[in-house]
Amino acid sequence: MANIEPITGRYVWVPYEGTEYRIYFEEAGQGIPLVCLHTAGTDGREWRHQLCDPKINKNFRVIALDLPRHGKSIPPYDWYKEAEEYKLTSTFYAGIVMAFCKALGLEKTVIMGSSMGGNICLHLAERYENDLLALIPVEACEWSPGWHLDWLSHAHIHGGEVCATSVFGLMAPQSPDKYRWETWWYYSQGGPGIFKGDLYFYSFNHDFRGKTQKLSGKVPMYYMTGVYDFACTPEMTEEAARNTKNAECIIMEEIGHFPMSENPEVFNRYLYPVLDKILALK
Amino acid sequence: MFDMSWMKRWQDAVNANGPMNWIGKHFTADFLLGFGDKNFVVSFNKGKLVNVTDQIGPETCYQLAIRGPAESWKKFVQKVPPPMYNDLWAMAHPLHGRVTMEGDQKVLWQNMRAFFWALDRMREV
Repeated sequence: MANIEPITGRYVWVPYEGTEYRIYFEEAGQGIPLVCLHTAGTDGREWRHQLCDPKINKNFRVIALDLPRHGKSIPPYDWYKEAEEYKLTSTFYAGIVMAFCKALGLEKTVIMGSSMGGNICLHLAERYENDLLALIPVEACEWSPGWHLDWLSHAHIHGGEVCATSVFGLMAPQSPDKYRWETWWYYSQGGPGIFKGDLYFYSFNHDFRGKTQKLSGKVPMYYMTGVYDFACTPEMTEEAARNTKNAECIIMEEIGHFPMSENPEVFNRYLYPVLDKILALK
Repeated sequence: MFDMSWMKRWQDAVNANGPMNWIGKHFTADFLLGFGDKNFVVSFNKGKLVNVTDQIGPETCYQLAIRGPAESWKKFVQKVPPPMYNDLWAMAHPLHGRVTMEGDQKVLWQNMRAFFWALDRMREV
């Protein structure tokens, strides 16, 4: 009998700010919508283990989308005529995610994102608290400098290899090689300049220092960070969590910046209790 | 650790490594590696580590100098390195600065995959 996974993939056209975006998403399960946001420069494949985990998808409708310009989500049609290089901003990022949720008719959504997907959770809490049930910022902090580098989009440098190799050390040596190198593989496949453009948000546009304390706390936030993350260290996440009302901070041992894909068994064990708490919110 | 004998064993590990044959096909560069007060210039040619020397004089050329305390490198070369020491970019990232890099940074980024793979072989020495 064929070993077919429960994931299904579809496309949805999402209107946002006068443009229609063709967005690819994968989903599995039923229940509370749990929208998963990938890291910079890659796509929703990072979440395949959480999509397939029956302990997660029995109570949650797990949805992993590819942001425009990532994975199977094409750029806007006039991308090749843009006068400036691609730079992701918090306004577009938060807006397109919520427009995607609206297009699918999702209500009281839980959003879980890693790295830049974790950092955007702070902006989502600031701008869309009435539409969210909970947020799970993974590998998130208030400010994450040092990554918006021209080397990641340079005619003299192999973009795929350098994007993938520059993030490989963010993963823990204890994580299984097969999953670490799968994550490397995803990173090697981004469009030209997309990783760097995402990192404009990650290292410049996102700066929540002095703002985190002003979040109302209406949406509970469950910060989760691995000890091997040298871009967003546990101390950086702990600082953000201390400044967030109605927040918890979970530091994960023997795992790094891509917990969902580099070591899904370990990450999911940390995730189950968080999801149980969210279930109790309903 | 980090003497010529250790470096030669690292050189042998790099040159015996199968994937280096294709990962390093276009990797030709000279780097200075500084482990505390011990400095070596390592020369790669098409992915082979063809020369290691600690005889560094006015005629010795290299494109990039990577220097850090020996204590940082000792953590890096452990079989299971601790957090923040498991990768050269982890140690060199501006947030941490456990090693410094001076010179032609572009050569590093052009050859990052092969060079990092070669550095990982230090854990086999």
